[in-house]
Amino acid sequence: MTPAGTRGARLEAVDVGYVYPGRTATQALDGLTLDVGDNEFLAVLGPVGCGKTTLLRIFAGFLRPASGTVRCDGAAIDGPGSQRGYVLQEDAIFPWMTVRENVEFGLMARGIDAAGRRAVSAELLDLIGLSAFEDAHPKELSAGMSKMVEVARVLATDPSILLLDEPFGALDAQTRARLQEALGRLWEQRRKTVLFVTHDAEEAIHLADRIVVLSSRPGRIKAEFRVDLPRPRSLETRFSAAFSDLKRRIWEVLGLGGVSAREQVPRIAGS
Amino acid sequence: MKSTTRQRYALGLLSLVTLVVAYTLVSNAYRVIDPASLPDALGGLLRPDVLPPTQAVVEAFRELAGGSGPPAAGARVQVSEQLAGLRREGVTLPASIVITTARVLFGLAVGMPLGILVGFLMGWSRKADDYLHPIYVLLRSVPPLAMITYIMLWLGHSEAHRLIPIVYAVAAAVVIPTYHGVRDVAGRYLVAARSLGARGRLLLARVVLPAARPAMLAGLRYGIAIAWMTAVGAEMLMAENGMGNLLVGGGMWSTRLQTRTDPAVVMAGIITLAGAGWVMDAAARVLTARLTRWQR
Amino acid sequence: MASILPARWTRVRRAVVALGALALLYGIAAAIGADRLPRRIWMSPHYVEDVELLPTYPSLAYELGFLVESGILAGAVAVSAGRVLAGVVLGSIIGILLGLATGRATRLEYLTDPWVTFFKFTPALALLPLFVLWFGYDEVSKVLLIAANVGVVVLLGTHQAVRNVPGVYLEAAASLGASPGLALRKIVLPAAFPQVFASIRVAMGLGWVTIVVAELINPRMPSLGYLLTLAGAYPRVSTMVVGIGTIGAVVLLFDMLALLLHARVTRWMGRSA
Repeated sequence: MTPAGTRGARLEAVDVGYVYPGRTATQALDGLTLDVGDNEFLAVLGPVGCGKTTLLRIFAGFLRPASGTVRCDGAAIDGPGSQRGYVLQEDAIFPWMTVRENVEFGLMARGIDAAGRRAVSAELLDLIGLSAFEDAHPKELSAGMSKMVEVARVLATDPSILLLDEPFGALDAQTRARLQEALGRLWEQRRKTVLFVTHDAEEAIHLADRIVVLSSRPGRIKAEFRVDLPRPRSLETRFSAAFSDLKRRIWEVLGLGGVSAREQVPRIAGS
Repeated sequence: MKSTTRQRYALGLLSLVTLVVAYTLVSNAYRVIDPASLPDALGGLLRPDVLPPTQAVVEAFRELAGGSGPPAAGARVQVSEQLAGLRREGVTLPASIVITTARVLFGLAVGMPLGILVGFLMGWSRKADDYLHPIYVLLRSVPPLAMITYIMLWLGHSEAHRLIPIVYAVAAAVVIPTYHGVRDVAGRYLVAARSLGARGRLLLARVVLPAARPAMLAGLRYGIAIAWMTAVGAEMLMAENGMGNLLVGGGMWSTRLQTRTDPAVVMAGIITLAGAGWVMDAAARVLTARLTRWQR
Repeated sequence: MASILPARWTRVRRAVVALGALALLYGIAAAIGADRLPRRIWMSPHYVEDVELLPTYPSLAYELGFLVESGILAGAVAVSAGRVLAGVVLGSIIGILLGLATGRATRLEYLTDPWVTFFKFTPALALLPLFVLWFGYDEVSKVLLIAANVGVVVLLGTHQAVRNVPGVYLEAAASLGASPGLALRKIVLPAAFPQVFASIRVAMGLGWVTIVVAELINPRMPSLGYLLTLAGAYPRVSTMVVGIGTIGAVVLLFDMLALLLHARVTRWMGRSA
């Protein structure tokens, strides 16, 4: 299921399979093939347990596929690397460092001096509007703010590829909407190749160029959608007809039936 | 002082005071009730030479503090065998506690870094863990008493002979908490850090160590308790100074544990030990709070 | 990362290698020592002849053979194990109960703090004469001495475990209408279980280490502690080594059994931690 027209994929997965060991071995992925093009924003959508996180971790270099190959810029992926920035689903902000130290961490790993680090972190924190908190410890932040710091942290080293694993999953609807806006704006300013995992169709449509829907265990590509909505995308875009139409089609694929929940119930009761 | 700390001290004090009052009542009960008239077990407990009355304990404190004047009015008339022996050898409470504290601090100073190093190694590298763990378990199950006796064969009665078991016990105690602290550093922090390009030394210094610090500090508190216990134990057997020596009543090695122990002296000694240990533990507690202020 | 050989076997192999290397080193040291080390040791107030500081394998084997054949070792292990188990069980129960109580009610913790401190910093050896005075010169005081040591460790461990149960679990339970008793049984206990179990494992090792001291009370055979004390008094190092080795082996055995038990129990509870 390779999309047409990619100039040269940044990330490629060819026939990837992964099995989680254990008493009941779970096949998380099976025969998955997908590409992410240069500067493309690809959303991977699917229900809980469809292997989206597994896929991302494989791309991030923390898991080795049991079968198939994964490549980044043509080379086989062999462990984590700072050109593939990775934001986890779980809360991974370093609680013993201040916000600023967190953001500067990747730069420190690169050996950049304090002044240089300061400049970058100041700019990023300003961009996400958390400059006032730069000397605070994570325990003083809300979950949403914490997550944004993690995103800023990953952006500090200016990776050309971003791997985001349901970063806004644990947040309330308003915060999520706000952060989606922020991410969208960020991406439009500094184009990057993004692989974004989510279970929220709206989020996917709002942010991505292309959406890939995975099936439940084992994860396989069930469907693919091109998002042709114009950019920059605003709050208004969410209410357009094209948006709703796309959403309906995606929900059908996800097995959520008609858009109206009321229509759904009799169907279940009848079967 | 935070209100919880205030509460802690207040309640602790209350409990202590209640304990002392209750104890004084019970230990002096023999003046009012004849122990012989009570059922055996109870009567046995109420005898003054079993439960030293509070006054006797206070008296013991005074004697041990170096008071060499005539006994105060109303105090016990005979000085116990143990006290006499201690007085003869010039053993006093202040001197003893200082010496034992010194041994404890030495044990901590040497044992903790050792234990942290080993624990860290085992926690960080699976390979090291697989190789070292069985050896560690083996070494850990050597009773300190047996070790003290054995080392004595090699080193005779020297200071090293007493200090080595303390260092050993502290190191052994600190290994496991450090090991867990390092190993259980939430995997997500390591994943995030490595994705940001951190490797080797940076990863260790900036991510693993800070994350493991709470566990290591817990190990410190545990190590303090172990250090005290081992130090006193070693002194009871093999030293002519220190609190352990005091508890046992001094005297020649061969006659140790055989002198008629004066329970009042033992009580006084244990109370002093508990007090000193509590002070160190409280210090460790404060240190922990200060160093882990970032914890949610 | 995906290796063909199961992880467990690698671990066992490495353990064997490590222990083997240690055994080899010891053998070499003992062989060298047999010639070089002094055999006349000063143990005040006199010299003792013919002491083997690093007993060689043959003499250890001889000693082991003797102890096993005469039934001394088996008897000693059985009796001592019984005492240790009794002490550990008793201490664990008390420790868990108190730990649960103090973990939940901070004020109770502050109240019991002085008592716990009293036992925490006092070595078993120091408590020994007191225990003998209070509880007699017999089995009871031995078991109680071990129980006291074990109890303190388990108490601290349980207390910490209960404290670590995320408050959110309890809040969720309360809003679902669970009574405190139900919350305790179904939430606190399972959540605290791993840590409590860890402290019992530590306590088990501690119990064995304390048995030597405890068995100084009314020392009489069969008893592993007394065996060691006697060996120390002579001194007969080979007996000491065999005795310590036996304790080590028993501790390992108990530890493995404990781990198996842990695995079995946590399977019922589903994946915890």
